[in-house]
Amino acid sequence: MVRVKIFGVARLKAGTGTFERDVETVDELLGSIPNMTKKEAKDLVLLVNGNPVSRRYRFKDGDEAVLLAPAGGG
Amino acid sequence: MATKYGGYMGKVLKINLTSREVSEYPFSDEERELFIGGKIMAAKILGDHLTGKEKAFSEENLLVVTTGPLTGSGAPSSSRFNISTLSPQTGYITSSNCGGNFGYYLKKAGLDALILTGRCEKPSWIEIQNDKVVFHEAEDIWGMKTSETQSALDDKLRMKNGRVRKNGKICIGPAGENLVLYSCIVSNERVSGRGGTGAVMGWMRLKAVCASGNKEIPVYDKEKMVKHTQKWFRYIRNHPLTGNQLPKLGTAGLVSAMQMKHILSTKNYSAGQYDEFEKVSGEELAEKYNIVNKGCLTCPIRCARTVEVDGQQVKGPELETLVLLGSGILNNDLPSILKWNYELDELGLDTISCANTISYAMEADEKGLWKNGLHFSDTGELTKIFEDIAYRRGIGDELALGSKRLSEKYGGKDFAIHAKGMELAAYEPRKAVGLGLGYATSNRGGCHLNGGYLVILEGLGLSIDQTTWRGKADLTMLFQDLMEMISAAGQCLFTSYAFFPTPLMKHPNAWYTKMVNKVLPYCGPAVRLINKYPEIAHLHLPVFHHTKGFEYTTGMKMKFGDYIRCGERGYNLEREINRRFGVNANKDALPKRLTDTLQDPNDPNSKVPLERLKKVYYHARGWDKRGLPTERTLKKLKIDFASESGR
Repeated sequence: MVRVKIFGVARLKAGTGTFERDVETVDELLGSIPNMTKKEAKDLVLLVNGNPVSRRYRFKDGDEAVLLAPAGGG
Repeated sequence: MATKYGGYMGKVLKINLTSREVSEYPFSDEERELFIGGKIMAAKILGDHLTGKEKAFSEENLLVVTTGPLTGSGAPSSSRFNISTLSPQTGYITSSNCGGNFGYYLKKAGLDALILTGRCEKPSWIEIQNDKVVFHEAEDIWGMKTSETQSALDDKLRMKNGRVRKNGKICIGPAGENLVLYSCIVSNERVSGRGGTGAVMGWMRLKAVCASGNKEIPVYDKEKMVKHTQKWFRYIRNHPLTGNQLPKLGTAGLVSAMQMKHILSTKNYSAGQYDEFEKVSGEELAEKYNIVNKGCLTCPIRCARTVEVDGQQVKGPELETLVLLGSGILNNDLPSILKWNYELDELGLDTISCANTISYAMEADEKGLWKNGLHFSDTGELTKIFEDIAYRRGIGDELALGSKRLSEKYGGKDFAIHAKGMELAAYEPRKAVGLGLGYATSNRGGCHLNGGYLVILEGLGLSIDQTTWRGKADLTMLFQDLMEMISAAGQCLFTSYAFFPTPLMKHPNAWYTKMVNKVLPYCGPAVRLINKYPEIAHLHLPVFHHTKGFEYTTGMKMKFGDYIRCGERGYNLEREINRRFGVNANKDALPKRLTDTLQDPNDPNSKVPLERLKKVYYHARGWDKRGLPTERTLKKLKIDFASESGR
């Protein structure tokens, strides 16, 4: 089971900040984000356990995936 | 002095508060071409008066309020004005770009700038209506908090028909009156926050200035400007940062990204991550507390939050306040931050310096250096402490001095997080070393914006290597100069995000974005070439609407290269004035915590390699080893006149 956290405007769009998914691949995860198409989800930065990962990454049980968009402020 | 250029009202007024003498200050078109407006114009005026011997609290100091040519032009986010003065906090000149509506109404009154000097005999406020100046006694409003002051002034400006005359104001709260070194000036709900401008106004015994008028703000080519502005608004509204993230989450939306990138200052900058960040994040603010987002005049971004405090709808916290009163002091209670943010604005205190001074005091207590009763995570007494600071009571009298002076008295200089005496912003720079360089070299002290805001490349907007020194010095110079000029023109610095092409921000995983992230640190020499010879950029960049907007408003030629050259001139002029007050390479410093202690013991690069960065930066800037602009640099920028004072 992968614990997923979404931040930034993506969280407002998804309507939820934290959920769990039983997925193995990044593609599966990106296709399972609420209120978001896979194409939209592909434009989010993915970190697993705090580190950037490639699209070929295979999830392990207990991983924490974070999705967020680029941001700016001041 | 009348002007041939659009965007300017052609008049600068100087008011001597001691003698109540009001005179027109000469500012020629040649000076407008070189010094534009805003903070650069203010630097020229300050540079003409300050020799290096003056004190912030003296009749020789000046409080210079300037607008830019785009202020009130209808361009996006162009209600800005600037306040510059000799700072009581740093001892150098400070500048503060503010929203609110004072700049717009100052121009409606027929003025490009206002120079205040001297000291009122009694507490006073000034009314400016169509460039006529009237002094009023302020004893009945002296002591009032900032929103109460502004309401009271509106009552005084009520016309016979009962309506309040449309006006813009600047005012101070109790903190400014009591000379707290980091007190601010407030306009509506917006704040000229940094450097202690409020204390200078308080020392002048000037509670407020109100401006109103019905003069037309001239635009050189109205037809082209209207078309261009429409296009510019569209661009900003469609940009992922200015059209989506900032309106929806405000600046507070950065908390989570900062956490992920290890740049969320935590427990007085001892760490870059906070376990409970989600409870004090922009998302939490947006979902549970934000009522509506607001913006300044003519701003399509509308980044301000509105929240409820004690039954009133008030301004919500910006990122800096949220972080520094959240993770900075290990506080996970968002409602308390909303309340303090409001109270600090009401008292007229700079939230950044105030929060950092508190976190320094907490650590000093923890380490047994100064038993002051303040403890991380224990925030029950803070409302009282903030009041005590503003009214200079008990421990508040000491906290009013800021972390630098306290560390000189009690010890702990290594963890007094300031540069040149001004406390740093909320980004922990050991994992954003370019911003570390910016903090250290910023003319006004530890400021992220005056420092170039390189963190936008170092993990927030783009994701270049956060800890490499490569390319950072040249990029810092470019961004400092760019933002210097945007501010001088009278616009909000957030319009600078348009500089980043939309696809890079929309598609962070695209091959071209990844390539930019990889390559950018190695582009230092190319950036240096543009910095050194900006005339080669003799064009309007398609993503950067500012240059055409400037041309259509003023009638001056302003290609991208000219634009950054003007910014460079401003940056060097401020540096040259600061030289008179003793600035040199030794003053471009950060506390040892950030330069000598690793943020992550397993990452040998997780500290700011400041000396290395400074060496490259000085070379890029055309400064000598002492960190001072060379005669050649000053001559190139046509500010060699400024070096005559005591070089």
